[in-house]
Amino acid sequence: MESLKRWAAFVLLGLLPLSAAAKPIAFAKGKTLMLEWGAGTMYEAQMFYAPRYWYSVGGGWLELDSEDGLKRRDITYLRANLLAKRWNLPGAQANVFVWGGIGRATGNDFEGSTLSRNVGLQADYETRRVYSSFRSDLHESDRFSHRIDTLQLGWAPYAHEYDQLAMWFVVQGRRYTGGIAKGTETALLVRFFKGGAWVEVGATTDGKLQTMAMFNF
Amino acid sequence: MKIIKTLLFAALLGIAPGVFARTIEMNVNGLVCAFCAQGIEKTLKGFPATEHVFVSLEHRIVAVELKDGQDIGDAALKKAITDAGYALVDIRRTDESIAAIRARVSQDTPLPKVDPAQHHHDKEMPGMDMHE
Repeated sequence: MESLKRWAAFVLLGLLPLSAAAKPIAFAKGKTLMLEWGAGTMYEAQMFYAPRYWYSVGGGWLELDSEDGLKRRDITYLRANLLAKRWNLPGAQANVFVWGGIGRATGNDFEGSTLSRNVGLQADYETRRVYSSFRSDLHESDRFSHRIDTLQLGWAPYAHEYDQLAMWFVVQGRRYTGGIAKGTETALLVRFFKGGAWVEVGATTDGKLQTMAMFNF
Repeated sequence: MKIIKTLLFAALLGIAPGVFARTIEMNVNGLVCAFCAQGIEKTLKGFPATEHVFVSLEHRIVAVELKDGQDIGDAALKKAITDAGYALVDIRRTDESIAAIRARVSQDTPLPKVDPAQHHHDKEMPGMDMHE
């Protein structure tokens, strides 16, 4: 019964208008820098260059720290992102992105470094007032496997214009696998963007700082 | 005879800029986020004929004001919008300036949803008002 409820909730969330979502591809010949401070559990920096609007290449660094303080991962990776599908609608846009890459990882519970693999996907849908996005990012190696699932639902108090400051209120739910954190980490965020700069700041329900910045240029 | 030729040449020079529209107005689908639409502005500003670019998310409009006597072909515009990751619905040429378009759309109500299946390109109809 509990499992059925969970599935029902997931389906209902999927029916909600899914992006003023952070995307791994900005625009053709555009560069994207993303920095995230994830509530004491994850820290990530990424830089991508998009030769075309439908793919980008680059790399990143990810640190994962388990909430019990026993596990730490440092992963440095190269990655390619592909816009698998885009729907351009009169008042909305939806996207499906997939990505994959390889890197090197170190951890405090194994010796040396190991080859790590990264795959992921993101689906998002946005209008000028509501958005949702779901992202699943898997980093694994012979020594570990960690998946980070992030669901965001956003609402804009006003529909911004091209040259205006945009503001969004965002609810974020995040789950980790592989012993990083138990349960769902929920955060409330406020997001601003104008021109090529995007800043998002908030806190998890247990009071930890959650913030992200993104720059397109 | 030489005077007539000179006068004719001068008259043609005077008329020539008038055959070019001043601004190209495009309806574009998928325009919902300013952060994401920067690519369109960047691409269109890359055309040598571009003087100014105006984007209205509310009205789903991308307008390009042209330099005097210059133009950008429909195929190049369509490629620019498509390569930026958006869907071009239609193109219209007008004699309005960007400032006039900006003023007009700021007083207008948002556009009704456009049926992409009925889109058209109006290269031969400069000055046509796009909303009616």
